[in-house]
Amino acid sequence: MEKVKDFSQAYTQAPWRRQVQMLVVFLVLLVLGATVAAVYLNVSAEAVAMGHDVQIMQDDIDQLSRANADLETKLAYLTSEQTMKERADKMGFEPVQSDQIMYLKVQGYYSRQPINLAPASGPVLVKTTKLPPEYSESLVTWFKVNVVVPASLLAKVLP
Amino acid sequence: MNTENDTQQWRFNLIGGLFAVLAILIVVQAVRIQFGPDADVFRKRGLSDEGEWRMIYPARGEIYDRWGHILAGNETVYEVGAELQYVENPETIAMTLSGILHTDYNDVFAAANQPVSYDPKHPAIYAVLADNITQQQKEQIETLAAGMKNQAPSRDKRIKLPSLRGLVFVPHLKRSYPEKELGSNILGFVNLEGQGYFGVEGKFNDLLAGTPQRVWVPLDPNRAAEIPKIPGGSSLVLTIDREIQANMEEVLDQAIKETGASGGTLAVMDPRNGELLAIATTPRMDLNQYQDYPKIFKGSTPFDKAISQAYEPGSVYKVLTMAAALDSGAVKPTTPFLDTGVFEIGGIYIYNWNSGAWGPQDMLGCMQHSLNVCLAWVASKMGPSKFYSYMQAFGIGHLTGIDLAGENPGRLKMPGDEDWYDADLGTNAFGQGVSATPVQMLMAVSSVANNGKMVAPHVLRSLIDKGRQYNTPVQVVGMPISAKTARTLTNMLATSLETEGSDAIVPGYRIAGKTGTAQIPTPSGYTSDVTNASFVGWGPVDDPRFIVYVWLEKPTTSIWGSVVAAPVFKQAVERLVVLMNLPPDDVRHQMANK
Repeated sequence: MEKVKDFSQAYTQAPWRRQVQMLVVFLVLLVLGATVAAVYLNVSAEAVAMGHDVQIMQDDIDQLSRANADLETKLAYLTSEQTMKERADKMGFEPVQSDQIMYLKVQGYYSRQPINLAPASGPVLVKTTKLPPEYSESLVTWFKVNVVVPASLLAKVLP
Repeated sequence: MNTENDTQQWRFNLIGGLFAVLAILIVVQAVRIQFGPDADVFRKRGLSDEGEWRMIYPARGEIYDRWGHILAGNETVYEVGAELQYVENPETIAMTLSGILHTDYNDVFAAANQPVSYDPKHPAIYAVLADNITQQQKEQIETLAAGMKNQAPSRDKRIKLPSLRGLVFVPHLKRSYPEKELGSNILGFVNLEGQGYFGVEGKFNDLLAGTPQRVWVPLDPNRAAEIPKIPGGSSLVLTIDREIQANMEEVLDQAIKETGASGGTLAVMDPRNGELLAIATTPRMDLNQYQDYPKIFKGSTPFDKAISQAYEPGSVYKVLTMAAALDSGAVKPTTPFLDTGVFEIGGIYIYNWNSGAWGPQDMLGCMQHSLNVCLAWVASKMGPSKFYSYMQAFGIGHLTGIDLAGENPGRLKMPGDEDWYDADLGTNAFGQGVSATPVQMLMAVSSVANNGKMVAPHVLRSLIDKGRQYNTPVQVVGMPISAKTARTLTNMLATSLETEGSDAIVPGYRIAGKTGTAQIPTPSGYTSDVTNASFVGWGPVDDPRFIVYVWLEKPTTSIWGSVVAAPVFKQAVERLVVLMNLPPDDVRHQMANK
């Protein structure tokens, strides 16, 4: 019995070691927790920052769209029929009469065509990015395509 | 040793207990906030910070002429609002806005002075004070606001310093018409609420405006991806040519001035495809000042007479009668007719425009001298069944389906109608007792100019939606007469103009056409001293590129279409051939033979 007691005593951790172990475990958990929290905080902060950037960019898009519309309309005012006519008059131009015009036939000349502001309607081609085979090909397929098939072709060719 | 350990243990337990109580209190408070009596209030306040409901009006699509000139665009204006929680001095706000924007002081003061309320039933967080203010007005207000911000604070707290704090400017787009009056009758206008009226704006309002949506816009950056994307309205490219439109308006205005007419219409169409190149009418208005509409269009004045005002066209209608007669085989160009100056039909007597007898004539002479008696005889020879069947085929009495708001179908009385009498066949033959709009006449006559094919008049050339352009196809709405009949009649009308030396003749170009002088029906009968003078013509005869319709209402210098309307046609065509790059016939033939 005494031997058993000695034996178990010999393998029993000293109290201070058990405390240190618990402390280490606690610290490891704490560090792990802190790391997870830090990573989470970092990721979520980045997400929020990016979200905020998206909001700002959305506002920018809206503002630029309005600015575009403003500029287009301003340009339309500056080049309106009345304004252009007044400018032409000031510069000494006058409307041409039909008997003042000389017509020439120019081969390959295409007369003015009504405006096309966008591509014509038709089948919509969806652009897709093809992944390189490395991302989808299995090892077996790669082996077949790059080793087995060339080898069989070579076997056919060689005497 | 034991006592010391016990004391330490007790202290640890106390601190642990305190932290535990603190934690429990936090949990209890969290639960209380979540489920307590004020939970709803907190939740709503939280939601109000999370995002907001916004009514989003997509940018209204633009309208272009056929060459890409903007006829209707958009410009930025601002809504002025007050964020009530930040408002310090509603008096200053009301005074400033009434001074710069001429808003009502009391209304603005009441709106800006209301207490903030987060109650969802009666929320008061933001108040709209004015809308559609210009960039310049906004800058004026901002300059004032900046000046007030920089003033030294008063020591006396009871004195309210002038402040525009709480004012916010929300930008949005508003319709703008760079060409002002030009083509106003075609375009129509958009009011402050974004609703289109008349013309293209009215007809295509839904397409142009897109779909306004009330959407939840998250303010939380984590939900930025949820910011809704509202597609803008579709843009439209019209068949209208800005330069031709401006020239036709100028010609029309000049003609009205010179002839003393009360109004007029001058429309140009490509007979090959029905594209309207210009529709000039009176009155017109600067579309940017659309609030003047009731002042300019008094009473029942239509916004666009070319499509909304049906009238008895008079002798220009003889083109249709003769086309029907030739096509049905009732007459030939050489068919003889002895004009005695009077023709009896359905118990009434038909007389010529000069009450004279023109003696022996053929159909060419009947058209050349515009003989009512002859045309009434021609119609009677066809019989009502054939005559009205042809008139229906020409689309008289039906909507043309033109893509402009407010079209009038006109009126074609038919056998079987309560108010149709046998005599109507005779009067209808020369354009009396039947009403049509200028655009209806253009469509009907297009069949004569276009080898028998009648095309649908339209102003929409293309629609641009989601980055794609959809062009409208040519619509042949019928073939009321054969190509042979069309060519025969065109030659007859060209010859008749040349033979009589019409004022409509344009040197260098062979033109076909017909004048019209119509008495105006009144409750007491037809007037004899005021008329509607018209002219319809097309050319060049061997390859028609334009068909022009002129209508002058109640001209005073002369009542005759041949005197007042024919020269207007000539002036219009003289400008058209230059603007459309149409060389004179001989030059064109030489170039074709090279």
